[in-house]
Amino acid sequence: MPMKTGSITLTVNGAKRSGSPEARKTLADFLRDDLELTGTHLGCEHGVCGACTVVVDGRAVRSCLMLAVQADGSDVTTVEGLAADGEMTPLQQALWDSHGFQCGFCTPGFLMQATAFLDAHPDADEASLREALSGNICRCTGYQSIVDGVLLAAERMRQG
Amino acid sequence: MKLPPFEYVVPTSVDEALALLAEHGDEANVLAGGQSLIPLLALRLARPAVLIDINRIAGLDELSASNGHVRVGALTREYVAEESPVVADNVPLLAAALPFIGHEAIRSRGTIGGSLAHADPAGELPAVARALDAAFVVRSLSGERVVAAADWFEGYLSTARQADELLTEVRFPKATAGTGVSFDEVARRHGDFAIVALATSLTIDGGAISDARLAFAGASDVPVRASKAEQVLAGQKPSTELFAEAAQQAAADLDPPADLHGTAEYRKKVAAALVRRGLEAAADAAGRR
Amino acid sequence: MAEILAERYTGASIKRSEDPRILTGRGRYVDDVKLPGMLHAAFVRSPLAHGKVLSVDVSAAKELPGVVGVYTGAEMESMTVPGPDLLASMMGGGVPMPEFTLLATDKVRLVGDPVVLVVAESRALAEDGAELVEVDYDELPPVASAAVALDPSSTPVFANLGNNVARPHSRNEFGDVASAFANADRTYEFTVNVHRHQNVPMEGRGCVCDFDPSTQTMTVYAATQSVHVSKMAVAVRLGLEQDKVRVLAGDIGGSFGLKIGASREELSVAAASRALGRPVKWVEDRGENLTTSGQAREESFDVRAAVSNDGDLLALDVKMVIDTGAYPGMGGMVPNIIEGMLPGPYKMQALGFESTGAITNKATYVAYRGPWASETFVRERIIDVIAKDLGIDPLEMRLRNVVENTDPPAKMITGRPLVGVTTKESMQRVAELVDVEAFRRRQEAERANGRYLGLGIATFIEAAPGPRSAESGQGLMGMEQMRLRLEDDGIVTLFTGQMPHGQSHQTTLAQIAADEFGVPFEQVRVVVGDTDQVPFGLTGGSRSATMTGGVALHGARQLKAKVLDFASNLMEANADDLDIVDGRVEVRGDPSSAITVAEVAHQAGDADLEVQATYDGGEGGWSGGTHCAIVEVDVETGLVKVERYVVSEDCGALINPAVVEGQIRGGVAQGIGAVLLERSAYDDNGNYQSATFMDYLLPTACDIPRIEIDHLETVPLDAHVNFRGVGEGGMIVAPPTVVNAIEDALAPFGVRIFEQHLPPARILELIETPT
Repeated sequence: MPMKTGSITLTVNGAKRSGSPEARKTLADFLRDDLELTGTHLGCEHGVCGACTVVVDGRAVRSCLMLAVQADGSDVTTVEGLAADGEMTPLQQALWDSHGFQCGFCTPGFLMQATAFLDAHPDADEASLREALSGNICRCTGYQSIVDGVLLAAERMRQG
Repeated sequence: MKLPPFEYVVPTSVDEALALLAEHGDEANVLAGGQSLIPLLALRLARPAVLIDINRIAGLDELSASNGHVRVGALTREYVAEESPVVADNVPLLAAALPFIGHEAIRSRGTIGGSLAHADPAGELPAVARALDAAFVVRSLSGERVVAAADWFEGYLSTARQADELLTEVRFPKATAGTGVSFDEVARRHGDFAIVALATSLTIDGGAISDARLAFAGASDVPVRASKAEQVLAGQKPSTELFAEAAQQAAADLDPPADLHGTAEYRKKVAAALVRRGLEAAADAAGRR
Repeated sequence: MAEILAERYTGASIKRSEDPRILTGRGRYVDDVKLPGMLHAAFVRSPLAHGKVLSVDVSAAKELPGVVGVYTGAEMESMTVPGPDLLASMMGGGVPMPEFTLLATDKVRLVGDPVVLVVAESRALAEDGAELVEVDYDELPPVASAAVALDPSSTPVFANLGNNVARPHSRNEFGDVASAFANADRTYEFTVNVHRHQNVPMEGRGCVCDFDPSTQTMTVYAATQSVHVSKMAVAVRLGLEQDKVRVLAGDIGGSFGLKIGASREELSVAAASRALGRPVKWVEDRGENLTTSGQAREESFDVRAAVSNDGDLLALDVKMVIDTGAYPGMGGMVPNIIEGMLPGPYKMQALGFESTGAITNKATYVAYRGPWASETFVRERIIDVIAKDLGIDPLEMRLRNVVENTDPPAKMITGRPLVGVTTKESMQRVAELVDVEAFRRRQEAERANGRYLGLGIATFIEAAPGPRSAESGQGLMGMEQMRLRLEDDGIVTLFTGQMPHGQSHQTTLAQIAADEFGVPFEQVRVVVGDTDQVPFGLTGGSRSATMTGGVALHGARQLKAKVLDFASNLMEANADDLDIVDGRVEVRGDPSSAITVAEVAHQAGDADLEVQATYDGGEGGWSGGTHCAIVEVDVETGLVKVERYVVSEDCGALINPAVVEGQIRGGVAQGIGAVLLERSAYDDNGNYQSATFMDYLLPTACDIPRIEIDHLETVPLDAHVNFRGVGEGGMIVAPPTVVNAIEDALAPFGVRIFEQHLPPARILELIETPT
């Protein structure tokens, strides 16, 4: 029988969460409104700016382009799930050290995209990194401080 | 904007999906990767009464090589195809085009079938399918049929898929020995929709071009083969002069649209440049096989 | 927490105290605000650029389950106090004020003009409801351009004005213009056009308005550059006493001049909250932001230049037309600023300037980072063109015309003294940093390979805050206020009306106060964003480095004096013999005597260890610099790559170099975006065409190169405060820098460029038919 919308259950930042979102509610809105994880931001709601980026089942995705109900059974990480026990990840720490951001609105999307990218490409050079981040728009920084922060994180992670 | 209301159903088998399509027809949209459809819903430009989410149907994402073809299940995620050795080894033109599709996050969810069923004329995959004469397998309650790429793309965002049909598989011919490919596009920024893109395939046999494919994205309301330019190339020895002639022919045959990103004249000029560059690159690649 | 990178915090790139919350997703932006009983707003918006509203039927919308309130323009009028737009009155330049209502009543004047407000349990339901509202329009001829607007036969956009002139024609002359042209060896005539583009912060406009019927108080959670200006706007329009309105702002996702005061939408939402007695949230989506929030820069200039054969730029005579859009914003005032700034840091003898403003069916002309930037574009563009025509190197021509940094300072012909201007030094520095000779050799070699590289230079100054005025004895930016207090627990709190939206004030102001007062950086807290707590202030105009840095510096010293005065009694020592070092009050030279400032504060009990400081900018001064871009133009596709970008800048003393550099790079990125990607496009019927991020293109990490920045050390102008503003400069000078480079790249084709927006198709057109 075709599944109707009902309750969904998913793992978010390591914890089991559930809800009963309308089918038309995006994953971004579900995270923000239903789960009150407001770190994920809405910059355009048509899939271009990347501010809504989260990691779903190991892949960076635009959460404004997924329905919440599509994430039933999935493993989702948002920006709130990066730091463990109040300890920032090397990426967050490096972006702090490099003065990566200004207004901060694009930041969670960049963090999630960069986290996924560094996991897959720990030795990326600046050009590939810029390409990988070209789907995230920042209006404040001109990108250099963000790129430097991510490269710094990669270098520190290589050094262990 | 927020999405408009719709009825949402999630079939778990192809048969269920077909029954839903038979029931709802034009009133339904199929949701695969959502990277094209959800923005349309969010902008309230698409208003389906029913959304049929096919992501839970098992078996629609198989990718395999068989006699002469690579069979790509419609639900194959673009990033899976991008990372697939089967695709890289057998359909180099598809492998070359995939990294141009949007950004990584788009390719995490976007599907090969979804993109080809959506049929954006500025899309990379429609140009590839047209260049390679891919075959489109659609199923309905009445059975299965195979549509050739030349017949698949009917108009702007419009394909030969009937309202009660589901695209289940796309078959790409394997590249033969002596084939070199190139995919390139001119876009405003990395990852944007192409203003014009070109899929090129050249097979060189005994120093002469035995097969030439040139398919444009962004040059019409459907992907277009530069057939006359292909004829200019057929049987000839590759040379810069030949490629320039082919480029001129290809551009002359185009009647491209105009929009905020480029006039028709601009698209023609860019198309010619892409042909020159694409043919050089494909010829080089053929030389290396 | 932040490490101490230097003995003094000021001048060091101290890590931001904002970042722990920003980086962990705990920033609080207006869309994150969630209140019990909160409702959501959406607007019915005009599909037409210009039309009469014949009828509005909201009955179906009201019936939709989940819709709680629907308000037409007429209803909104009865719920609010009519009056001119506060911001336009402040920034409008004294031009005639059009009459209009918050929501459209008789007319719609641009695509997206708000007509009806729908309030519902969710944003999605509010939008569903909005779709059910039926509005009958009678289409009117669109006033889709300044040319149409200035034709007397065009349909007036505002009935009470009778025409579409936003700002009547006016002309001023400085110096002897006629004589300068009569005696010039050569004169030139150009028309230079700057295209419409816009702020596009990543967070749009929005608010949560929460009217509490039990106290008759309105609380507004805002995204704004000034909580006090927003409060004034809301109080006036809603007919509330000022003390019945409180505006709170948390983190703000960028603004660049957009979020000042309160928009018609926000005021309507406030009125709805009062009517319903419940909080109402409105956050604009990207379509609303691009279509209606406001746009800028659409200006055209007819320029005559009087020049000597040796390249002296003797005089300019400029006619400007500005397209101010429909509803009033900053458009009326911008020509005044442009007029004043046109001579720049050059020795011009005379300037004639006249301007007209046009009202069109487009979004309001709003303040956008360096609103007067076109003066630099026009001047720096024509200098290049004239130099090449005379056979002079463009940098040499600039060096010939630039003023020296003299004492007494040279004066712009429009009056302002160019005190401390180091333009010449910045030009020379850029020439050192960029080996122009080597580039020219490479350029020539690559042309032989069919590759077209170009180099462009441009210079600017900005009044950040500008020189102290000899006549009035005052600085140009009014007064800045700050309240500083030593708390019981030893924290030094700064209460400022600044409203950071990326400027890192919570870090930079703490750096200064920590140094001046004598506590560790972590012991200073900067409070912003609450009209109940902070004095009047506004973040904008590149004011904060001087004005707020200055008031923090002087205020911290005043607070320190007050604390030491109290401590002198406690410690039975002369205040003059006391100092505060690392958070402890000690008798100089006797660390064993030290007690913590917390102990002092605790002892003070009810005594008030607080100061209200003000600052007028001191000697002030100019910021400025010279930028250089190296680009490559693909002449087959028209695509442009910025290969290298070099900045020599002077903003006096740097509070936090990383913050300064971030501001410059962000501004440069917007300038590059303006030239290569961004356009707020309207068709001839006034339909807006750049309403999504697929059409309004912002630069990405692949479009902006590494930007090399060199800081000039300059002689301080003020005895105490030598920080000058740097927020707007990058955006002001990057466009001419890049356009100069593109023209240089296309020199073999004889191209001359008199416009700012150069998408690939346009580049190919220019190559085909050089102007």
